[in-house]
Amino acid sequence: MHHGMYSPLRARVYPTLTCRKKVALAVVIWAAILLPTVHAQPLTLSAPTAIISTDTRCYVDGLSEQMNCGSISVPEDHDQPEGKHIQVHYVVMPAIKSSGKSEALLAIAGGPGQSAIENAKGFDQMLAKVRQTHDVILIDQRGTGQSNPLQCVGDGFESPLAINESDFDAGEESQKCLDELDADVTQYDSLSALRDFEAVRQHLGYQKLHLYGVSYGTRMAQLYMRHYPEHIATVTLDGVVPMQQSVLAIGDAIARAFDLLIQDCSNNTLCHNQFPQLAAELDKMDSELAQAPKISMIADPRTGEATQLTMTRSKFNGALRMALYSPSVRALIPHTIHQASQGNFQPITGLYAMSMDGAGIAMGMHASVVCAEDWQRLTPQLRASANQHYFGREMLKTFEQSCAVWNMPAVDSSFSQAIASDIPTLILSGELDPATPPSWGEMAMEKLTNAKHFVAPYATHGVAYQSCGNNLIAELVEKGAVTDIDGECLNKDISRNFYLNASTVEAIPRDTDTKQAKTALNQ
Amino acid sequence: MSNKIITMVRKELIDAARDKRSVMAGLYYAVGAPLLMCGMFFMLIGQLTSPEDLNIKINNPQGAPDLIKYLSSKGITQGDADKNKDILLVVSDDYASNMAKGISADVTLIADASNEKLQKSIRRLEKNLQQYSSEMGSLRLIARGIDPRVMQPIKLNVEDQATPDSKAGMILGLATMTMIYAVFISGMNLAIDTSAGERERNSLALLLSHPVSTGQIVIAKIISVTLFGMIGLLLTLIVSKFAYSFVPWQELGFSVSVNSSFIGMMMLVGLPVAIMAACLQLFVSFMAKSFKEAQSYLTIVLMLPMMLAMAASYDIAPDTLQWLPVSGQLQALIEFIKGRELPGMQLAISSLITLAISALLAFGMQKSLKSEKIVFGL
Repeated sequence: MHHGMYSPLRARVYPTLTCRKKVALAVVIWAAILLPTVHAQPLTLSAPTAIISTDTRCYVDGLSEQMNCGSISVPEDHDQPEGKHIQVHYVVMPAIKSSGKSEALLAIAGGPGQSAIENAKGFDQMLAKVRQTHDVILIDQRGTGQSNPLQCVGDGFESPLAINESDFDAGEESQKCLDELDADVTQYDSLSALRDFEAVRQHLGYQKLHLYGVSYGTRMAQLYMRHYPEHIATVTLDGVVPMQQSVLAIGDAIARAFDLLIQDCSNNTLCHNQFPQLAAELDKMDSELAQAPKISMIADPRTGEATQLTMTRSKFNGALRMALYSPSVRALIPHTIHQASQGNFQPITGLYAMSMDGAGIAMGMHASVVCAEDWQRLTPQLRASANQHYFGREMLKTFEQSCAVWNMPAVDSSFSQAIASDIPTLILSGELDPATPPSWGEMAMEKLTNAKHFVAPYATHGVAYQSCGNNLIAELVEKGAVTDIDGECLNKDISRNFYLNASTVEAIPRDTDTKQAKTALNQ
Repeated sequence: MSNKIITMVRKELIDAARDKRSVMAGLYYAVGAPLLMCGMFFMLIGQLTSPEDLNIKINNPQGAPDLIKYLSSKGITQGDADKNKDILLVVSDDYASNMAKGISADVTLIADASNEKLQKSIRRLEKNLQQYSSEMGSLRLIARGIDPRVMQPIKLNVEDQATPDSKAGMILGLATMTMIYAVFISGMNLAIDTSAGERERNSLALLLSHPVSTGQIVIAKIISVTLFGMIGLLLTLIVSKFAYSFVPWQELGFSVSVNSSFIGMMMLVGLPVAIMAACLQLFVSFMAKSFKEAQSYLTIVLMLPMMLAMAASYDIAPDTLQWLPVSGQLQALIEFIKGRELPGMQLAISSLITLAISALLAFGMQKSLKSEKIVFGL
């Protein structure tokens, strides 16, 4: 569902399609801004599809094949091995033709706060080639999925369509959440989770791991490179958050992605002719909604029942932002903006509905990571630059309140140093990425001596899911070196035209006269 | 008594070794068949996993540029006129105007579906058009403020109990069939040579004049032909073990491995079949008047086990086939490969029937060797 990575196509064709969550760092952050929204519906802890004890056969959501599931018990606080223990769950998707047990690929989900196991189907499809010869390990990072999830179960507000997000106090919500959790939230940072990952590797007996990290998962992969380089064979960082970068700088990336969209539309004759005032319309909507939300009665996107829609600035911008994550949904944005400026909120409601039920993100774990690792290293310059854009401002406001409650100890300054390594590393960036722009990929390259960075011109966040990037990963895993990898195939144009009305991507004939229609088509 | 048989078996083997070329020809199958199978699988996998770009003819492509672009990103393009497959895609003149109104826009696919070469390409084109249509359908719903997930009332969760080994069952069924067939082919030349051949060289009458019973002669011949069949089978299995490990099965989503427990099982199950093959071939050869005639008859007779084996591998057999020789054993072996419980009853009965048929044939041969008609080929 969701988020960014939702692909409508699959939704229809495959039953479980909605579960293909991709892992979006940004998504999470957005969720944070909308904390009340996430709380609006009681979040159900997704029960494991199979009964999981240690190392049993099981099935995961969306895949018909038998997998191996298991869990290990780790101390909640690694420095107090005698203290409370938590279970960290993993799933091994076995290689089709195993080449011995010494190497496997560890796929790390994003968020922070998404469950790798719940995203098994997406990983399986994307890593199908790797799985032909290598086991693929998915670990629910501590605080997510089945591993002592730090979920915040809300009180059940009114419909998420009707709420006004600005009525909620992030600090108060965070306090309520903290009170409900039975966990020492300060232990749910990336470095503690990294020690769990290493413990799982030892438990499973693999000598070396190939890493695939997407979005926030790239931070875990980079930490793995820094702390346990001897156990890493290759690394793929897809949509990378460099160690030097606080994710709170994401506001710039979002603004950049909006600018690229407006630019794409004005460079496209059909889109430009249909929506000549797109930028102005977007500004107009934003400033109108900043004044006051617009309230109307609509049919609920799912139930069809009459319901109140409170169109707020947060919903409007948030839904558009989520649409930027998927190349196909992105095509609908110009039409959506134009219709909204005409007073028709149907398309924006449709987009909002896609992300309404959260991003499958454990908000407590999300806050632990962001407050310890990103909030604390916010410099005055970064704060100033974040304050320039709507999303940056909202994010700062939210985390200012929730991090005060979460009270995480700051990571030390060495955390933010560039990773220096000669491990073969493939970095993938999407030109259209609304979360981790290609410039972040360059930054990650700083001290990597055996790395290649490719920018896929038509991809958004999660390049390997949208292009031939997954084949490059398979090549990297097979050869164990980046030198021969050629990113040429990433340039293949997979984009779709913009929607010109609610139905078509093709030029709209001016009238039914065929001759004229053809002229229009030929332009 | 048993000494005499051993001596005669040795005599048969020495005889066989003298005519290396013809005997070796029988064993060529053992080496060649697995290699040919591997070559076939290589080609099959190559075709399935890396489909070439599909060239089709498109009428009125300018009527639907986004659709055409989508198809070409999926490797379906309008190629050179002479390379085009015989598939024509016609974009209707009102495609764009219907699309703009939210009415279904017509695209016509013209092809001969009975042309088997085209079927795969047609399915591929249909699948891609369907995907494009579904994606647009979902986005159209979003544009109308409806969650596209309402179009998916049932979420089907499938829990497949197959293991990677059992998924390979179909392929291994075919492979097992060629393996078991080795016992028929490998011993064939020896069977003809030691019966019809021996008679043509006039050494059969000489052999009969020695103080051994016809029963002993028959048993000795059966043993040596069986031995050759089993050598052929073992050779096939060993070659398969190595050759099959080079085939990239994983690209089809399963693994195939010929391991030692399978080889052991195959040798055990193959033994009664080899004995029957020897009896059958010797019997037919004795009945034939000459070497050449024996060869012709055997070629026809060998169709029978081949058909039984095929019926078993493709699972088109009526239930009674599970008790018959060859098909019964093959079905049991396929179950074994799939990691299921070995159908012991089925295997025991079909093996007993196999041995009973062998005994009957041996008895028949022993009787016939007392007839002048057979001994002198009259």
